[in-house]
Amino acid sequence: MHPWVSRREFLLRTGVSAAAANFLFSLPSLGSGATVAERKQRLVFIFSPNGIIPDHFWPEKIGFDFDLKRILAPLTDFKSQTMTLHGICNQIKGDGDGHMRGIGCLLTGIELFPGDVQGGSDTPAGWSMGISVDQHIKNKLQANPNTQTRFGSLEFGVMVPERADTWTRMSYAGPNQPVAPIDNPYQMFDKLYGQSKNRALLASVLDDLTDDFRKVEQLISVEDRRMLQEHVTMVREIEKELQAEVQLQARKGDVGHAVPKLAPNVEEKNDNIPQITRMQMDLMVNSFAADFARIATFQITNSVGEPKMKWLGIEEGHHHLSHEPDTNETAYEKLIKINTWYCEQVAYLAKRLAETPEPGGQGSMLDHTTLVWTNELGKGNSHTRNNIPFILVGGGLGFKMGQALDFKDVSHNRLLMNFCEAMGYPEKSFGNPDFCAGGALTGLV
Amino acid sequence: MISIPPICSKLSLLAIAGLLCEVACADDSRLGPLQEKGAAIYKTKCASCHGEHGEGGTKQYVEPLVGDASRKELAKLIADTMPEDDPGSCVGEDAEAVAAYVFDGFYSDAAQVRNRPPRVGLARLTGPQLRQSLADLYSHFVGVPKATMDRGVKAIYFDGPKRKNENKKMERTDPTIQFDFGHDPPVEGVDPKGFYIYWEGGVLAERTGRYEIVVRSTCSFVMDFGKLGRELINNHVQSGDKTEFRKSITLTAGRVYPFKLDFIQRERKTEKPPASISLSWIPPNGTEQIIPTRNLIPDGATATFSLQTELPPDDRSYGFERGVAINRQWDESTTAASLEFAQIASDELWRDYRKKHIKDKDKEESNDRSVLKSFLTEVVQTAFHAPLTEELKKLYVEDQVDATEDDVEAIQRALLISLKSPRFLYPLADQDQSKSARRANRLTLTLLDSIPSEEWLIKKVRENKLDSTDTVREVARAYVKDFRAQAKLRDMFHEWLNTKRFGDITKNESLFPGFDRNIANDLRDSMDVFIQEIVGSESSDYRQLFFADWTFTSERLGNFYGDAWKPLDLQANEGSKSALPQFRRSVSDPEHRFGVLTHPYLMSGMSYHDTTSPIHRGVFLIRFIFGRTLRPPNEAFTPLSPDLHPDLTTRERVSLQTSPDNCQVCHSKINGLGFALENFDAVGRFRSREREKLLDSSGKYLARDGREVSFSGPRELADYIVHSDDAHRAFVNRAFQHFVKQPAAAFGPTTLDELTQSFRQNHFNINDLIAEIALIAAMRDPALTN
Repeated sequence: MHPWVSRREFLLRTGVSAAAANFLFSLPSLGSGATVAERKQRLVFIFSPNGIIPDHFWPEKIGFDFDLKRILAPLTDFKSQTMTLHGICNQIKGDGDGHMRGIGCLLTGIELFPGDVQGGSDTPAGWSMGISVDQHIKNKLQANPNTQTRFGSLEFGVMVPERADTWTRMSYAGPNQPVAPIDNPYQMFDKLYGQSKNRALLASVLDDLTDDFRKVEQLISVEDRRMLQEHVTMVREIEKELQAEVQLQARKGDVGHAVPKLAPNVEEKNDNIPQITRMQMDLMVNSFAADFARIATFQITNSVGEPKMKWLGIEEGHHHLSHEPDTNETAYEKLIKINTWYCEQVAYLAKRLAETPEPGGQGSMLDHTTLVWTNELGKGNSHTRNNIPFILVGGGLGFKMGQALDFKDVSHNRLLMNFCEAMGYPEKSFGNPDFCAGGALTGLV
Repeated sequence: MISIPPICSKLSLLAIAGLLCEVACADDSRLGPLQEKGAAIYKTKCASCHGEHGEGGTKQYVEPLVGDASRKELAKLIADTMPEDDPGSCVGEDAEAVAAYVFDGFYSDAAQVRNRPPRVGLARLTGPQLRQSLADLYSHFVGVPKATMDRGVKAIYFDGPKRKNENKKMERTDPTIQFDFGHDPPVEGVDPKGFYIYWEGGVLAERTGRYEIVVRSTCSFVMDFGKLGRELINNHVQSGDKTEFRKSITLTAGRVYPFKLDFIQRERKTEKPPASISLSWIPPNGTEQIIPTRNLIPDGATATFSLQTELPPDDRSYGFERGVAINRQWDESTTAASLEFAQIASDELWRDYRKKHIKDKDKEESNDRSVLKSFLTEVVQTAFHAPLTEELKKLYVEDQVDATEDDVEAIQRALLISLKSPRFLYPLADQDQSKSARRANRLTLTLLDSIPSEEWLIKKVRENKLDSTDTVREVARAYVKDFRAQAKLRDMFHEWLNTKRFGDITKNESLFPGFDRNIANDLRDSMDVFIQEIVGSESSDYRQLFFADWTFTSERLGNFYGDAWKPLDLQANEGSKSALPQFRRSVSDPEHRFGVLTHPYLMSGMSYHDTTSPIHRGVFLIRFIFGRTLRPPNEAFTPLSPDLHPDLTTRERVSLQTSPDNCQVCHSKINGLGFALENFDAVGRFRSREREKLLDSSGKYLARDGREVSFSGPRELADYIVHSDDAHRAFVNRAFQHFVKQPAAAFGPTTLDELTQSFRQNHFNINDLIAEIALIAAMRDPALTN
């Protein structure tokens, strides 16, 4: 349906000037016309829980000629854009059990407040005492008009329990201010596209409604009809405007402005984890293409998460399995499979980004995005926070990718400082300064 | 400072003037000889300013010549002041003739009704009506809590941090939530090392607006609000020194919002904070206070929906809210409201409906849309207050569901189209419905500002039971005591007492030390509670509003206003402080207290920063209490400064300033009433002297029937109001307009007189009056009787 009759009328109705129209319709997106745009950088933290199986995770060979073990094998296609960082340790002490400090100090690099939530061991604790690195960088980017975006950051989740506690929160806007991830793709969709979608919906129902107005007119006295007529005239005007707007969006058709379509009626439940993960990742790629945000977190379940990966033939919950000793071969094998599945998700996101050309820039979106896949523990059955998994994929931070590094035993605060620095905002320390001696790690760039 | 609003907006006046002209022209033929003589004089001496037929609209005189002065008063006014360029040239019989012509031709109420008979006009839902209707559309599926006199919060105390029945130590009703247990046991038998307290209740919102809920807690707690399971604040984790939690939320008047609080002091290895918790709120335009007992209902079972979307204000040019403005801003707000409702409908109503109607586990997965369609049919026919015809069902439900595979989107589509439909937005465009249905629509719209949503009423409609005055009256009486109707009534009182224009009441600190925002808020609450007490009592007696020599007082008010504001029941002072309600009945003060008339909330609201304002008080009495019209002053005046007239009392100063003849036209009516309240200073404290001079609080009033009454002070004024026909009529008219949002005369020229008469005969029972008004709206709507 074309409610306008000519190009000129269309432009008049949509309020687009002729000069702007040429610009708008001949180019893929508004941003691409800019002459000296700063290189866009994005950073994504992907969290999966309960530690990994080190022997099937960490490369044996260090350097550019590194090897990908079973768990990391899904990243084979992106090996040249991958960096593995061994020897990074979460050394934060204080209140809270291993899992709590594991997730609560992971991106904040600072202790938890004293509190009343008691884990399986150690002392009870509350929330983190500081801001997390994703929110810190987001604030910096949002304060700069050149890097400001609609949301700054987006916090995705997959099956995060409906429980606000230290185990379910990774991102912090400040001390005692945990940020809840959105784990319902429809809710995330509403946040990103709700307004456009609602306007499209309204456009499609108003036409039917105006007919019924005429019938209702017959139900009221002649004196009163004027008011209803005034009303229906307004509704018709609005309908026309909305139709024009919807058509305009359909015409533009570029990924940056297209509203993605979600599979209908997907319920939030364990068995839908694979589907929800894909939906959320697709939304993330779309939101990046539209430049809604440059920072994201992607939290699959939670610290001590219990997904039951029935789609892999695994009936037990992940956390439960992660406590089994290495000698339990069945459990060991299942844990390798579980972690491989997480890696596949990272690879899927990398693939989606690699397939999408960077809007208004060179190369693919993966060239401008770094995925940081991490975990609250180094290994599940020991609850160690040494050798925390940090697997980086993509070119957003400008690191020298395609290598395996081993820092032996350094505090993870220093790596958090690398993230700040690489995003253009170097800091003297991040989190608890006691763990920042030596500054940002060297050898990454 | 308070501004006196013009009686009508200029625009609407011009529109009326145009109409008056048309009709009045034709009416000239009916005039008697005296009027004919007057008409001739009027044409030569008056018409150039006042218009051919009193329509005004000229440079010299914009307003139409309408009002409620008697013919005699008009004649005197003409003789004294008219025409303005040559006063004294139209006197005696001439003045009487002109007065007769003006009065009968277009000036008097009767002439106005004759020239332009009022009718029941079409109106869309007003903002409050839209809010209430959506709240009831939700309630249709979950029920409405019954009005109750019970107050407080249900509390269950457990030993140990978990809810285990065997550890239950105490179950009771707490008057408020405000506890500082420290390291002591919260109740006997509970170990302070670790315990769990469960509070459940409902919060009754008296007015619509933005509230801030404030919980202060040193321990873990989770608070649900609006529905058990709808989380408002989650402090499951007690962390560091974070102890204050705030959430803003728009609440709708007359609704009970269920809530629960799980409060847990957990046993732990580390040092525990002393346990304390309080539940407060900041009501719209209020200050923070512990949520008072009178707003807490121990039953918190029924879920409630409150629209968060902001709605534009409604047209008030008729003197009461009417849904007549059709514009983009309003349209956008209805879209936002529909989508917000669609959200709660899919999140809560549809989820529960689905669970109830798809019992078979296997079918849960199947894509059978018939259950969704029957759910939406029920929503839409409740919104349209009528069963859907096949045609309407197709348009509003089936086509919308068939348009998308996604259930949530289907709900959005169906609700967008139906909540933006004229069938919902114009509740009185219902000629295609049964008589019972139409009566039910009018009853709930009048009493609750809402749609018929409760099953018992819908059943009556289905069975066509609303077929007689008695059955309709029965429904009206049942609804009058509902929280929703009482909230609407509360709003009416604030209209009647014109308090909505007070804004923040502030006073000169050196003259009135201690009068602050908290006192002003307490005064408003005190008056609210007082009115509630009177209306809610068995006799619901209007006369008590002026006779009562007691009021409701708080500790703060007692301290500020002194002995007359001490609570009646001193015994209760000795009990535990937190168990006392904030407002308690005061001692009697038969010498100085006459119900609302002398309530310091009104007295301080109608005063300046440092002095009283007899003019504001007088205008209020004339316009609101006696229901008379006054035309706005010719120009804005600044009151004479008391400092420039140090020897004059306020009364003397006002008399001096308003002494010119053309001021006296109105001020002879205004001042005489305002002066009678001069015993109450700018904060409403009784005084017998001002500036060392003994106060003169005598006053007078010229009634509609031409009788002049004088009184020696507030007692005689109160006594007069209680017996005054003008005041009775004004109160009934105010109530009618507020509830029906149509002029009473649209329901028959004698409607107002009949209602006033029956109000008097029925011992001035306010609740009964409201029920009778609803009865008239439901039975006498001309659209229904023709």
